[in-house]
Amino acid sequence: MDKLLYLSMTGATQTMLAQTAHANNLANANTTGFKSDMAQARAMAVIGEGHQSRVYAMTERPATDLSSGVNQHTGRELDVAVQDHGWIAVQSANGSEAYTRAGELHVDAVGQLRTGTGLPVIGEGGPIELPPSSKIEIAGDGTITVRVQGSQANELAVVDRIKLVNPDPQTLIKGLDGLLRVKGGAAAAIDPLVKLESGHLETSNVNAVSELTAMIGLSRRFEMNIKMMKSAEENAAAAAKVLQDVG
Amino acid sequence: MNGALFVAKTGLSAQDTALRVVSNNLANLGTDGFKRDRAVFEDLVYQIKRQPGAQSAEGTELPSGIQLGTGVRTAGTVKLFTQGTLNVTDQNLDIAIEGRGFFQIAQPSGETAYSRSGRFQLNSSGQIVNSQGYLLEPQITVPADTTSISIGRDGTVSVTQGDSADASQIGQLVLGDFVNPSGLQAIGGNMYQETVSSGAVSTGNPDSDAFGSTIQGALENSNVNSVEELVNMISTQRAFEMNSKVISTVDQMLSFVTQNL
Repeated sequence: MDKLLYLSMTGATQTMLAQTAHANNLANANTTGFKSDMAQARAMAVIGEGHQSRVYAMTERPATDLSSGVNQHTGRELDVAVQDHGWIAVQSANGSEAYTRAGELHVDAVGQLRTGTGLPVIGEGGPIELPPSSKIEIAGDGTITVRVQGSQANELAVVDRIKLVNPDPQTLIKGLDGLLRVKGGAAAAIDPLVKLESGHLETSNVNAVSELTAMIGLSRRFEMNIKMMKSAEENAAAAAKVLQDVG
Repeated sequence: MNGALFVAKTGLSAQDTALRVVSNNLANLGTDGFKRDRAVFEDLVYQIKRQPGAQSAEGTELPSGIQLGTGVRTAGTVKLFTQGTLNVTDQNLDIAIEGRGFFQIAQPSGETAYSRSGRFQLNSSGQIVNSQGYLLEPQITVPADTTSISIGRDGTVSVTQGDSADASQIGQLVLGDFVNPSGLQAIGGNMYQETVSSGAVSTGNPDSDAFGSTIQGALENSNVNSVEELVNMISTQRAFEMNSKVISTVDQMLSFVTQNL
């Protein structure tokens, strides 16, 4: 059978995978703190005897776009956005430390500070526990000041400080839960220069125009692969016809 | 089948939820004591198609694999308990809470509900009830010959009766508060119910401890910001359109296959 057909087939399949990656970015165009994924194709030559005519395409995710989204004002005191570079440390479902930019924080029934998706926020010594309080303020450096229920307005207590980190972007990878982690699993060190902005949320950094353009490009590339399959079919038909005529 | 179709489908349903939240907020723009909702989204799990660092041949490894996301889901809605503006109505039994706390309302089922809406009235036996006719807790009965009612910032309810010029105290408003008000369950009618997530209620007099003060003759407006909601509506609509564009693009790709092969 003509190898051309199989080459086109993998090309089309891999294009569909890239299409899925872009669809996922667009689906998260309104997800707070979402970081868009990139997709690129790599040429994988089949190395062997004879003429190396077969080069398969392979879609891969080389990196996640870590650029900042837009800070949106919400006015809620527990909404925090990270300014410029930096990450909020949270405890992921399996207990390991992970990083996010989604700062829709809330306090649960037992006073633990959690993100909008329910993950505990890490402070100086593990997950942050807050006493029942009538007012919670999060300062620029992540320091949490509370007015404990029943105390006077001038009796504010500093409870903890949100762990803010800024590891080298090269070392960050997105895990299966959408949270970022440092390669190798080590916890990043606290960076005192990372600043939070209370009352704001960071929007998704998905660039809708570039995603849609990429989708159009991929869609045309897909069609070209299908056209190649059609050509392969026509070639085979022509060859068969020649042989029939000879017979 | 193409994964992009299903990813875009999750995007459409999430934007649909977001629009529903926005429309409910806008519908309650004029509801006293209404607290607006916000939808919280999270990206769904990622699937590893090819593990980064896997060996592509002996001695060579893939520098980056492919992990594909499976879309978005609504993690939940959060009620935002920010203070609404005060609307002075000059009605005796309109009470606004400036600060934290909820009025306690006795439901017919015997359970206590909590409300920020302070539009109270009297029933036929002179008891203070909310607009549904449910009793305020603790119960306060206003005597029949009352000429004026005054409610202090600390929640004391006093009346003058008949020809007497001296006011006498007939009751005390008690507010309830929660560690995590966002965890309360909204049951409609401007009322909320305690849940495990909200924590147990703590009660106290207005203007004491952390509780807000009660202001007679005013109502708390809805905290919905119409401009913000309309902006949210625009971004939701555009995100919806983009996801439907993905679906039509994938559809075109698949139809191209069926037509040409």
